[in-house]
Amino acid sequence: MSSFRAFRALAINEVRASVRNRTALIFTLGLAVLFMIIFGLLFGGSGVSVSFDAVNNDGTAQSAAYLRALSDISGVSVHTKSHAGAFSDLKDDSVTAVLVIPKGFGAAVEGQGPSQQVGIYQAGGGSAETAISDELVANVTAGFAGRGNPAVTLSAPRVAEVNQVTEMDYILPSMIAYIILFSGVNYVAIGLVEKRVTHVLRRFRATPVSSRTVLAAQVVGGALTVLLQILVLVLLGIWVFGARNYGNWLLLVPPIVLGTASFVGIGFLITSVSRTSESARALAAMVTFPLMFLSGLFFPISSLPTVVQTIARILPLAWASDALHQVMNDGAGFSAITTDCLVMAAWAVVTIAVASWRFRWD
Amino acid sequence: MAVAPPGPATSEAPGMMRAEPMPARTGLGGEMADIDVEGLVKRYRDVAAVDGLSFTVQRGEVFGMLGPNGAGKTTTLEIIEGLRTPDAGSVHVLGTDVLAHPQTVKERIGVQLQATALPQFTKVREAVELFAALYRKARPVAEVIDEFNLGEKADAYTDKLSGGQMQRLSIALALVNDPDLVFLDEPTTWLDPQARLNIWTVIEGIRQRRKTVVLTTHYMEEAERLCDRVAVIDRGRIVALDTPPRLIAEHASGTTIEFALVPGLDPETLRRLPGVDRVVADGRVSVTTRSPEAVLHVLLDPHAPWNVGGGVDGAAGGGGGGGGGGAIRDLLVRNGTLEDVFLSLTGRSLRE
Repeated sequence: MSSFRAFRALAINEVRASVRNRTALIFTLGLAVLFMIIFGLLFGGSGVSVSFDAVNNDGTAQSAAYLRALSDISGVSVHTKSHAGAFSDLKDDSVTAVLVIPKGFGAAVEGQGPSQQVGIYQAGGGSAETAISDELVANVTAGFAGRGNPAVTLSAPRVAEVNQVTEMDYILPSMIAYIILFSGVNYVAIGLVEKRVTHVLRRFRATPVSSRTVLAAQVVGGALTVLLQILVLVLLGIWVFGARNYGNWLLLVPPIVLGTASFVGIGFLITSVSRTSESARALAAMVTFPLMFLSGLFFPISSLPTVVQTIARILPLAWASDALHQVMNDGAGFSAITTDCLVMAAWAVVTIAVASWRFRWD
Repeated sequence: MAVAPPGPATSEAPGMMRAEPMPARTGLGGEMADIDVEGLVKRYRDVAAVDGLSFTVQRGEVFGMLGPNGAGKTTTLEIIEGLRTPDAGSVHVLGTDVLAHPQTVKERIGVQLQATALPQFTKVREAVELFAALYRKARPVAEVIDEFNLGEKADAYTDKLSGGQMQRLSIALALVNDPDLVFLDEPTTWLDPQARLNIWTVIEGIRQRRKTVVLTTHYMEEAERLCDRVAVIDRGRIVALDTPPRLIAEHASGTTIEFALVPGLDPETLRRLPGVDRVVADGRVSVTTRSPEAVLHVLLDPHAPWNVGGGVDGAAGGGGGGGGGGAIRDLLVRNGTLEDVFLSLTGRSLRE
């Protein structure tokens, strides 16, 4: 079919040109890698500090004294939390371990009840901090148990059933979302405005190729460029930066494809109101930069003011970011990201429909 | 001013050798014209960029549209190419109604746009391959690259090409689908003279392959050298349409004699000579006449006061007219050109 041949040639040319365009690559893949390096430097390997969350089911003076004895050790901090709060902190990698003090701890120490066992939970993996924390807790516990009778003992360290998410694990799906956002808008949309302004579209129009074919090639070519960049980013993230994916790789495909489609659509809307490539760039920057900070790329949306949260939750990047984090960090299944995908699909359909209706050759 | 036509001024105008124009509307065999434009109008707000154009172009003809910038040449061309919709009129290209079936027409024509741009980060060969893929039928890429001498530059990025190379590529792309009809919009504007000559050779090559060519230009030399027929366009209208020699014969028939004004010569004397149509004197004298011999006879007469008095200039009389060492300097004799045709039809210069 001749129109497929035309489409394929245009799309290949698009991907080839995008890969050769180093300036644009620096702003997408380059910046994403830079962010990962910065995050690695900010949060990675800065001395050993041990912090505990304690779930105190006992609440007596004895259990308070036990925790104080632990927190008196220099370099150790202890916070008393609810059960859920403590395990959520463990999951976010904000504590080294969770201690669970059983009810009856005080009575056991006073010799008025049966012997009790303090539980210690760590995330999987094992690090310098966890080894040190085991030893500290064991020493303190031995101090309490050592008054004649072994009233309290320490459980063997138990691995909690959580995926501990490091900063690097969190930033990788964020940077995937970042590439989707910037490439969708920059490669596809600004690329299209540039072709219009420099009369490349007009030249295509002088051939039998249809506007639909040209548009489709621009979108698909742009999307392939996005996928290539994500591939490079993920490989770098895992091999160089040690990020982990707890989910199914295939489940990343729907949010990546739909997210790209929705940003391509938004980019097209930008192009249909921009006469020059300069104004398209300015408008694109006005859309993309706030989105980047509003959509949970660098910190969770829940830490934003409510009004801003509401706005952020309407825009597609928050949904893309949510879906990617759920899959990669929580190992979520498709049912958990169905809503995300539906919202992004809706964005894509509406924006691309409006854009192709408003399409201008020149 | 005063650009002499190529070759000796006394010879026939170059176009004289060409075939006579074909009759309008139908070709020799009675087949339809390659282009048939009827009552074309295109308005931008209140201004009519194209104001009722009608003409036909025959198979194998090189048809020129000559006019200053803003005359409506490009708009007309783009309507015929199916890039713009006219407000009124009909356009048939290769027997097909362009407005009804633009894709059919685009398959069979080749287009070189003014100010051609190609996709960024694309090499010459890739550009030819890309455009070849946009047509149902295309010529082999290597053949096109060879034909336009782009072999050396085949692996260069298109934005690294010189103006002349870029224009050759642009014309190559217009011919990649082996079209019957080729449109060239100002193919040599912005080119240096060497590159321009090169492009002229390219266009002559296209003509030899029996393609119909429509080109716009505001260079009269280009129109005179390349075109079988020229439509002189001004303000969206065709003010004259014929072969270059006939246009010149009809609208700029006289010979123009130019020289530097010398003391003792009253230009008024020349005005009274038989055959003189026009005398303009402002430092340089320009005489337009139907009998140049009479004017030259007077000017170069060794006994004329301006020649006797100025004897000292003797050898410096160079510009020369081969006369006996008179004081008339910088003498130039030239035939009428399309520039003069445009001037006489519109009262304005092509370069304005």
